[in-house]
Amino acid sequence: MELVEQTHKSTLWEKLSVERIKMELLRTAFGHSLTFLSKFDPRILIGWYSFFAIAPWFIHDKTVLIGMLLAIAILTYTSKPSVLVLIVLAFGLVTDTAYMLIVSLAFGGGLSAAWALSTLTLKLLVIALASIAVFSSIDPEKLSDALLSLGMPAQFSFGVAYGYRMLPILIEEYNNLLYSFRLRGRAPLRKGFLGYRSLIHIGKISILAFYPLILNTAKRTRTTVEALEVKGFTYAIKDPKVKRIKLAYLKILPRDYVFIAVSALYVALLFWMGSIINL
Amino acid sequence: MAKISTEEQPIIQLNNVTFRYPGAQSNSLEQVSLTINRGDFVAIAGSNGSGKSTLCKCFNGLIPTYYSGDMEGTVMIDGHLTSDRSVAELSKHVAYVFQDFENQLVRPTVYDEVCFAPLNFGFEDYKERGMLALQMLEIEHLQKEWIWQLSGGQKHMAALAAALALNPDVIVVDEPVAQLDPAHARIIYEKLKLLNEKYGKTIIVIEHHTEFIADYCRKIVLMETGGRIRWVKPVSEGLSSITTLNEMNILPPQVTQAFYALCSEQDKKLGALYPITIEEAVAHWAPLGISTSRTLTEPKHDLPIDRLTTPEPLVRLEGVTSGYQGIDRKQKPVLRGIDLDIYEGERIALIGNNGAGKSTLLRLISGIRRPWEGKVTVCGTDTRQTTPEQLSDQVAFLFQNPEEMFIADNIRQDVSYFLDARKQEGIDSFVDEVLERFKLTNLQERDGRLLSGGQQRRATLAIGMAMRPTIILLDEPTASLDIASRREMTLLFDQLHDHIKAVVVATHDMQLVADWATRVIVMNEGHILLDTDSRTVFQHTDILEKAALIAPQIVQLSGRLGIVPTCLSVDEFVAHMQDTSRKELSYGIS
Repeated sequence: MELVEQTHKSTLWEKLSVERIKMELLRTAFGHSLTFLSKFDPRILIGWYSFFAIAPWFIHDKTVLIGMLLAIAILTYTSKPSVLVLIVLAFGLVTDTAYMLIVSLAFGGGLSAAWALSTLTLKLLVIALASIAVFSSIDPEKLSDALLSLGMPAQFSFGVAYGYRMLPILIEEYNNLLYSFRLRGRAPLRKGFLGYRSLIHIGKISILAFYPLILNTAKRTRTTVEALEVKGFTYAIKDPKVKRIKLAYLKILPRDYVFIAVSALYVALLFWMGSIINL
Repeated sequence: MAKISTEEQPIIQLNNVTFRYPGAQSNSLEQVSLTINRGDFVAIAGSNGSGKSTLCKCFNGLIPTYYSGDMEGTVMIDGHLTSDRSVAELSKHVAYVFQDFENQLVRPTVYDEVCFAPLNFGFEDYKERGMLALQMLEIEHLQKEWIWQLSGGQKHMAALAAALALNPDVIVVDEPVAQLDPAHARIIYEKLKLLNEKYGKTIIVIEHHTEFIADYCRKIVLMETGGRIRWVKPVSEGLSSITTLNEMNILPPQVTQAFYALCSEQDKKLGALYPITIEEAVAHWAPLGISTSRTLTEPKHDLPIDRLTTPEPLVRLEGVTSGYQGIDRKQKPVLRGIDLDIYEGERIALIGNNGAGKSTLLRLISGIRRPWEGKVTVCGTDTRQTTPEQLSDQVAFLFQNPEEMFIADNIRQDVSYFLDARKQEGIDSFVDEVLERFKLTNLQERDGRLLSGGQQRRATLAIGMAMRPTIILLDEPTASLDIASRREMTLLFDQLHDHIKAVVVATHDMQLVADWATRVIVMNEGHILLDTDSRTVFQHTDILEKAALIAPQIVQLSGRLGIVPTCLSVDEFVAHMQDTSRKELSYGIS
């Protein structure tokens, strides 16, 4: 359907609409069709991710970092991440860079200081993109099972999957509660300088809406707890057999080893290049 | 009717059970003795607070194992004492579908949900067991769906499938009709019937919608306040005990009410069995040769307002298209090209199946949503040119879930929230008056979440009323209410109408449509199928079917008997029948 763009005042609410955020979050959590990364065993992916989440902190060589960034950016692209997440990331990046420029110029460091500081930005970018690539590729069930398999308590891994189950419902409810506040409350008549009054109002009710949400959730839990009892959950967490049956489908295949090997080779190559090219 | 098992083999036996929740002031069950046979289909009925849910929690051992209250007497399931077994063990015999079934679904997808219990019990073939449960209910197509994407009816089905996965002998379903629209409730009952007849499961439902009891159950257990069992009777006999049922605030099926009203006092004393289903009623009345034409005694209110003389509609929708963005980033239109005018003085019922676009239409009028195409004008303002905050001075929108409207510490503050936010002075007496009118004075210090379903609905109406709107929009205001509260709501709607220029209600409640609405709009797949009055709507059986709606029983009956125009209420039907017999009498004399 072709959308006719009409001229109407788009309010701050529409830009920041919870509905839009909800859709983006759901897309990140549930919207993945087959991506390149989703073909691999989730435990391998978690291991792979831990390397790219931790290692950059100890690497100061820009060549290596840029190399990592290139590879991860491609992987992120293949995992079709949500636009919102990327926008948030880009926003952080732009403000971060701007801040560095201002600080370094103001304190007389010049561009060279800004260049030096950008290493940190590079590190953060690698880590952030690695997170996006991995977590938008593993489906919630596999993530939860991988955690269980890696020795996390059953309650924790169940909690991860349950979170995915509840997330959309909670966001929907939050959205409606927010509407209750908006429709029955009063937005400031004057928006104030740069709309600061509106911003304060929005900020205030966005926080207030959490209280009824928490109370509603607390009320719901009773049935959930009874149901878990009836479904034998408490019985299962004591039984190692259940864990074995549940995780029987997780198998590390040759392609997983190939993936790890290629990644290791690539990183080694980067270090070798880093020793030649000095940025 | 279903085949009756040849051997009477008890599967559940309660012997003098008395139970009190920890910390409670009185017993929830009092000296309950009850035997339920294998393969039976039993309804447990009773007024609110008569211990129906408590009784059913004894069947699966949640009482006394999980709720360690004071318990006397014994409960035997399939010959074993429940007190000797764990809840988990018992759940292999007794499955339970809760009233708020949404909260018993704990996994992300339907498939995970149905496999969860068999997996927890360490069955190697848990996948096959899960699939078998889906096959029994014939819902394999839902296997890969995310739970949050399911409709209410599908969620109930998923909860039932998950309960079936352990292949239990007994299935307990707590108020299936309460949270579902009638068409979906009927589907659930059809499945329960299938399980009962094809797979020999024992079915126990907590139910006070007697029309469902009449159509599906074989025995009825009537509970009374204080947790006692009044009696256990075969359904035809139980539903004919009209006086006892009335005492318990349970409404007999409409055909039974009509028959009872037409019975002579002598017949009532004889205690004969009354017709309880449409089929029985048709079989009774059809041979009597009832006059099929009747004159309307009330003024015919087809369109209450002469539209030519009415200057301006309150709400005008012109070629409106709206929808949402799907998870695949495609625009999914929910409403397509809607044209609609709403005038002062109208009581509009918006009906149609789930996903027909009712809620979206309400949201467009309230300004929460804006049209993709077309124009929505509310009280002379284009909703694109204003904010929902500004529109809320004219339009009150009451959500489907009352808990999403309780944003203050107690009911009183919730009611006055709108006025407080506008810094209005001297509102106390007005708030008092609103609370009084909606019978909330004694509850005003309580948090809305802690009230019963009926009280919650009253509170949301009070909140809407205190906003002094021109137009009030209600989304499913009678969902999940028992019959007494539902009747009360209909009365309150009449009161609303004295103060508010137009009321629009999205509903599945055909009784409300028949009793209250002056204009009925049937929606289907984003279009308006029919825009008419409540009497006419029930004559379009094809359209009702398309929109998955079921007419009230008395409307169906008068349709089957060929009475034109249709009788909308039991009273109308009774009046017509009396009229007929009077005419016959006068013929007899001449």
